[in-house]
Amino acid sequence: MVGLPYDFLANPLGVVRSTFEKAVASGSDPASFDGKDWGIIDLFNDFLSHQPTLSRVHSATLRLVQPNTLVRFRGMIQDMFGNELYVGAYKVFLLLSDGSVWRTNKFMDVAQFPIDSSADKRMWERRLLYCVPVPGQNAWTETSSEAFMNHYMDWTSQQREKRRRADEESNDCEVSGDEVQCSPDTKKMREDEHPSLPSLSHGAMAESSSSGMSIVPGLDGSFLVKIYDSLESDLKLNDVFEFVGVLASDPVPQVDNEDCEFFEDPLHHLPPNKVPRLHCFIHRKLAVQDFLQNNPIIEPKPHLVKEIRDALLRHLTTVLGNDNVAAHFMLLHLLSRVHARVDALAVGKLSLNLTCFSKENVSVFGNLLSLTVKNLLPFTHCIPLTVEYLNTTPLAPRKDYDTNRLVTGVLQLAEGSHIIVDETKLEAGTLNSMGVENARLLKNLMELQKLEYDFKYYKMEMATDIQLLVLSEGKSNILPADVVVPFRPSVVSSIDAVVEESLQAWRWYLATVRLLPHSIESEMQKVVENDLVAARQADRSLNPQDFSRWLTMGRLMSLSFGETSLSLEHWQMVKELEKLRSERL
Amino acid sequence: MKDLDFNADKDLAKEFLSNFADANGEAKYMNILQDVANHKTRAIQIDIGDLINYKDLDDEFLRRVTENTRRYIGIFADAIDELMPEPTEAFTDDDHDILMTQRSDEGVEGPDSSDPHQKMPSEIKRYFEVYIRASSKGRPFTIREVKASYIGQLVRISGIVTRCSDVKPLMQVAVYTCEDCGFEIYQEVTARVFMPLFECPSKRCSTNRSKGNLILQLRASKFLKFQEAKIQELAEHVPKGHIPRTMTVHFRGELTRKVAPGDVVELSGIFLPIPYNGYRAMRAGLVADTYLEAMSITHFKKRYEEYEFIGDDEEQISKLAEDGDIYNKLARSLAPEIFGHEDIKKALLLLLVGAPHRKLKDGMKIRGDLHICLMGDPGVAKSQLLKHIINVAPRGVYTTGKGSSGVGLTAAVQKDPVTNEFVLEGGALVLADMGICAIDEFDKMDESDRTAIHEVMEQQTVSIAKAGITTSLNARTAVLAAANPAWGRYDLRRTPAENINLPPALLSRFDLLWLILDRADMDSDLEMARHVVYVHQNKESPALGFTPLEPSVLRAYISTARRLSPSVPRELEEYIASAYSSIRQEEAKSNTPHSYTTVRTLLSILRISAALARLRFSETVAQSDVDEALRLMQMSKFSLYSDERQRSGLDAISDIYSILRDEAARSNRMDVSYAHALNWISRKGYSEAQLKECLEEYAALNVWQIHPHTFDIRFIDA
Repeated sequence: MVGLPYDFLANPLGVVRSTFEKAVASGSDPASFDGKDWGIIDLFNDFLSHQPTLSRVHSATLRLVQPNTLVRFRGMIQDMFGNELYVGAYKVFLLLSDGSVWRTNKFMDVAQFPIDSSADKRMWERRLLYCVPVPGQNAWTETSSEAFMNHYMDWTSQQREKRRRADEESNDCEVSGDEVQCSPDTKKMREDEHPSLPSLSHGAMAESSSSGMSIVPGLDGSFLVKIYDSLESDLKLNDVFEFVGVLASDPVPQVDNEDCEFFEDPLHHLPPNKVPRLHCFIHRKLAVQDFLQNNPIIEPKPHLVKEIRDALLRHLTTVLGNDNVAAHFMLLHLLSRVHARVDALAVGKLSLNLTCFSKENVSVFGNLLSLTVKNLLPFTHCIPLTVEYLNTTPLAPRKDYDTNRLVTGVLQLAEGSHIIVDETKLEAGTLNSMGVENARLLKNLMELQKLEYDFKYYKMEMATDIQLLVLSEGKSNILPADVVVPFRPSVVSSIDAVVEESLQAWRWYLATVRLLPHSIESEMQKVVENDLVAARQADRSLNPQDFSRWLTMGRLMSLSFGETSLSLEHWQMVKELEKLRSERL
Repeated sequence: MKDLDFNADKDLAKEFLSNFADANGEAKYMNILQDVANHKTRAIQIDIGDLINYKDLDDEFLRRVTENTRRYIGIFADAIDELMPEPTEAFTDDDHDILMTQRSDEGVEGPDSSDPHQKMPSEIKRYFEVYIRASSKGRPFTIREVKASYIGQLVRISGIVTRCSDVKPLMQVAVYTCEDCGFEIYQEVTARVFMPLFECPSKRCSTNRSKGNLILQLRASKFLKFQEAKIQELAEHVPKGHIPRTMTVHFRGELTRKVAPGDVVELSGIFLPIPYNGYRAMRAGLVADTYLEAMSITHFKKRYEEYEFIGDDEEQISKLAEDGDIYNKLARSLAPEIFGHEDIKKALLLLLVGAPHRKLKDGMKIRGDLHICLMGDPGVAKSQLLKHIINVAPRGVYTTGKGSSGVGLTAAVQKDPVTNEFVLEGGALVLADMGICAIDEFDKMDESDRTAIHEVMEQQTVSIAKAGITTSLNARTAVLAAANPAWGRYDLRRTPAENINLPPALLSRFDLLWLILDRADMDSDLEMARHVVYVHQNKESPALGFTPLEPSVLRAYISTARRLSPSVPRELEEYIASAYSSIRQEEAKSNTPHSYTTVRTLLSILRISAALARLRFSETVAQSDVDEALRLMQMSKFSLYSDERQRSGLDAISDIYSILRDEAARSNRMDVSYAHALNWISRKGYSEAQLKECLEEYAALNVWQIHPHTFDIRFIDA
């Protein structure tokens, strides 16, 4: 028996049990484990650092994964169901040896042994999170299913072999006991899976291909994650996380609600055969970089960054019909993110409104633009703004007290998502109350980067970080963007197919450069201040928002060159850009 | 062993119930028991607070009661059974009593009282319900904070009710009669589901082996009203980036029908797991749903007068009160993120504090609430100020004039869709009774709607005569309005009256009308530029130069201040009268009056002064209060005056000189103390720096002499 002492991959629960028993045997009081673990998280952390290629689970591949194995799942936290109390540790009377021993139920849905109602037990808590695939996730962020499947097949057969050998060698009754218990479950699980299979895979296909306009929770690869012992502040709504844990097997089919209480339990709507449960060992917050397939460059070197920047700018200029000014603003816009919140202000956002689109050229440039953005950023959306859309589509999430769940809205998005709002299709019409509410939500999102979630009795503001690009004929009044640029295309040039390598470089560039730190030296600060005052003396209508926009642009400009402090040159470029823009207005 | 323990505790409970004396020395619980015996009341609420205050308190007993509350309800009920006094008043027997008398007649010859099913459970005899309510001291938990370790314990939580079920009967004691032996069989039900008995367990039946058939007697069984509700965390308790948690609450008996969805409530209750049974128990054996067995309900009323101090608030306030600069400190702590506007903030602080209401002997009421109207150019943070004030005020309603009609603000008579009856529904102003109503976009309201609030602002009532309902609702609110000038921006070429464009009848009702103009000057531009640059660079607002007080401290201080009702001493009457008459004269002289000075203005001066005295925790109004009140009234139009002065060609320095000269001439004195001079000029809206400049300049011209240390002025006779 060389190698790892435990089979982490195929039998993680065995690890949980044996370590627990070991810990109890060594004299620890099981009551003291409430809210702590017995070193198991460290064990798994340790294991994962040696095993980087753990399968990632999606709905499409779910049927291939055995329950009670270690899996990795990426998703956005869409809803939180609160705490669940469970029997964390309990005493079992063993028939063979007299006396009783402690057993644990941590990371499990079903007790290994029947629990005597009079037995000594400890109630522990775990948190339930409802996770969905990140809305609007673009296809290029996924490893292709095919490759994954092959990889998985190889891996499982390998593991099976290994495991069998291990079992044979060691007459560990624990593991074999598991095997016995496990196999009927898996069968059942498979049976349960099959009827819903077509819809499952179909949903997943639709999700990845159409950039996910409709985000319907349920059959689309959502997971219920059970979190143990972590700080509440670690996991927030709309965060994108990677969870590593045990895929639970819940052998009991759904209970019919004959004696069900008056109130609906949210879990009733999420039967385990549709929404798998994941008992989480380790969770890790993901940033945009984690979605890049292979990080080509590690260090942002100035000359390299400049090269990529120039290439990207050229590409954007072509896409925008040789409109250089618009391309510049587009670049800055793509780099923007909310990097601080001061009072009610979201600092760092730069929403862009390209005006002077007509019905004719929006079909050309608009589509081109959305395709480009889709290829560059991991999470993108398109909202065709029409009166009907505003009147019928719920944009903000809303709490449904009948099912006790948060019903998602189009705007419930992960941090760093990009939205293109196409206003050219908007025509005169009457907004109903929902339309008015939606327009207000969009305006708030644009101005404050905040979205109100409707809890019926009160609204709750959630901070967001969403890049907004508005395409419109005239200046949009519904969506007051930070920058309004009249769009002046000169030629409709055919776009050459972009090489995959350069796409990858651009993705990396956009994801990395925006995170660079930024500062303004005190000398530069003087210059900026004087420029601002002079500008306001010349034009009284300038307000703090304009100042703020300029500084944001200055920041983004220097970041786009991979630099961390504002130089006079870049500040001049910003002023020049603003001048060119104001000439067009 | 354990039973013995509980018996001892029952004696403790008995002792407590019979001996506890409230603040008036009355035996509180024995009085309640007497009422119960007389069938006047059902609920017996045992307050943990009383248990804490009980003189012979056993700490261990208290701990046991709070940690195993459900068991102790039974113990208290047993104790009450033994203590129950004889009824002292006659009451009509209802079904229940008749049944009880019959049972007690039969009970004597009962066949075998040893059989648990035939012994009458004490539960069925009881007319009362026992509740143990948590002590109201300390902060209630949020739902999030109630963890697994609180299972079985008495907790107090606050939340908003989101759903309520219908009230249903819940069987507490099932009563059966046996077809064979005719005995009544009792079965106590503790869970929500029970297994009915089918075979008669009585001795006679079992010896006869007749397996007597049991028939459930619904009329004889005891039912309890039962209601289930969901409560949700309040928005302010939810940490950032999280979703409000919910909790199931069970209400029983007298506590049912006390809450409706949307109510903000504070509940005390026992946090319990739901016992599963049958198939679900097998499935969900590992997981336990929990609920709160409600013990008491308190609806939240947010009013200053009911403000309860938390922790060391009181100490902090008395410390603050000793601080001489409290007025400035409090004012600056209002909306600290809004730069400048110190005087407006002072005015808003006074609006929060208000003056005492006065009721004259002949029944006339004089309002104490201050009304303030902020008028100014767009983008001067009016709305933010409004929203902030609403947040600070314990009770505040924010509406916009555009979105509300006259009835929306006052009250509406509506037809109830279910019963077809007319019902009164209070509008924003009525909802803000004893609080603050902020109306944004005041100028955008329809004229007809605006007149609806005339009555509210002066009489502080809303009268309704519609659809056969004639009534008056209280609307003791302070109105805080924000409006834009008539043409969107203040037009300096037009008269103030044209710009303000609100009818005099309405304007005179505002104690303070504040004009905030956005003017162009280099300094403020630089200030703004610096601010924006700072924010971008440091990702935070520039340091304020002081630490603003927490809103909770602010609230506590204001509520303490509101308890005082300062009076105006006789010596000041003359002073106020002369100040008032001088304002009137000035207005008469000016050809474009900025204000409508009426008797209401005099009342406003008194109100503001009284509010200032309240802030000092003083029972009498001092002259400094009156001066500050006058200064605020002057400052409110400062931006206009300064402009006018520029137009009239008079610079600040010479204006100050003329003010000082006039005042000195009026009082026929040659000496003017510095303090007085400062008072006079600040009333006209000048700063101390300007005064000093003026003093130096004119001293150089040998118009007056300045005392080198006290800066007192002596005019040189010309």
